Amino acid sequence: MTRRRYELAAAGAVALMLLAAGAIFLYAPTDALQGPVQRIFYLHVSSAIAAFACFSVVLVGGVLYLWKENLAADRVARAAALVGLVFTTVTLVMGMEWAKPIWGVYWTWDARLTSTLVLWIIYAGYLLVRRLATPGRQAARFAAVVGIFGFADVPIVYGSVSWWRTIHPGPVVLNDALPPAMLATFLFTMFCTLVLAAVMVVIRYRIETLQDALPFGQVVTSAAVTTPQA
Amino acid sequence: MRSLRVAYAIARKDLLSEWRSREMVPALAQFVVLALVIANFGFQIDSKNAPAIAPGVLWLALVFAGLVAFGRAFTAEREQHTLEAVMMTAAPPTAVFMGKALGAALLLVVCEAVLLPALTLFFGTPLSAELVIAVLLATIGMSALGCVFAAMVAQLRARELLLPLLSIPLWIPFIVAGGRAVQVAMGGDGTLDQALWLLVDFDILFLVLTSLAARFVLDD
Repeated sequence: MTRRRYELAAAGAVALMLLAAGAIFLYAPTDALQGPVQRIFYLHVSSAIAAFACFSVVLVGGVLYLWKENLAADRVARAAALVGLVFTTVTLVMGMEWAKPIWGVYWTWDARLTSTLVLWIIYAGYLLVRRLATPGRQAARFAAVVGIFGFADVPIVYGSVSWWRTIHPGPVVLNDALPPAMLATFLFTMFCTLVLAAVMVVIRYRIETLQDALPFGQVVTSAAVTTPQA
Repeated sequence: MRSLRVAYAIARKDLLSEWRSREMVPALAQFVVLALVIANFGFQIDSKNAPAIAPGVLWLALVFAGLVAFGRAFTAEREQHTLEAVMMTAAPPTAVFMGKALGAALLLVVCEAVLLPALTLFFGTPLSAELVIAVLLATIGMSALGCVFAAMVAQLRARELLLPLLSIPLWIPFIVAGGRAVQVAMGGDGTLDQALWLLVDFDILFLVLTSLAARFVLDD
């Protein structure tokens, strides 16, 4: 892809997110019980789903790398891990913003909150392994192993609201608990967030590709999203 | 069969070298007793709150003793490049890894043989067969996982820093299930069977995963 296409993709993703913001604040009705705070739900859940999607990509990329020694698979995993960590951070921060007015505290040691925090720590560790290992085969192999083991926490986070007694709200989307306007807003926000995540992974993949082409020790700057000069 | 012989030989070598130097076990034993002393000051322990605090102290001491034991299992090999020599033989990497994990796990079991009676002595909590089984079941999975990451970080910079960061999050299932079992064994509410079977499930899952991963963390 040329530089122009990356810029277009990024602009498109931003435009979609602005549309989603419009839907969240203007189209979706205000929740009768929680009031405007409930609007956090749309992006909070969408970010969590985007993070899960990213970590699934890390898992698949890791397995493919260990199996076929495919460098592109490793780069995709690398890109997705970083983006997944960003979306996990968004999920945690927005969840805490919501929890303060609803639960009265920012944090409680609930099963879902705790397992999500652990998820964040696992993938932060993944990125640390990448940084501390010798770049190339060792970093890719070790990170793949961490990514595969770390994924064990994703189903735990997902199942935590059903398996343990928790105060975190259960799944409302799959249970038909949302009125149509809220459901439509949620589905649209989820779509936009997934597009944003995909665009971020693609751009990050490009940066990783350029980084791999550079001699050891040099770093790609923001300007290098262009095709490198020979 | 050959794999079993290799694993046994590696574990035997590690335990023999520990027996001759007697470095790790006394240090770890002192370490867990010190952990109890710190817990006493940190929690202001008396006869009333001791049963509620003891399970937590047990797992904290075990996690940190485990980190030291597993970390040490691979650093010595790295420093003297002995693992590379072993990997050059025809021995299957999974068997070598399982041998290392078995050796480290047995060192941790020795350490638990000090920790559990010390807990009974200082905290007055009952020492039962169920308690021992729960701790041993958790030790199996924690050792397998801990040794995967220990083998990995031994080859990296900042290894002391990274081992806890990688191991502890993935030990949490064992600490959750083991913690429940220990609480019940020490007189709390709940059913013991469920927690013990959960530990067995986690052990099987992570033994399979670690034996698949062993090749990638050892053979570099």
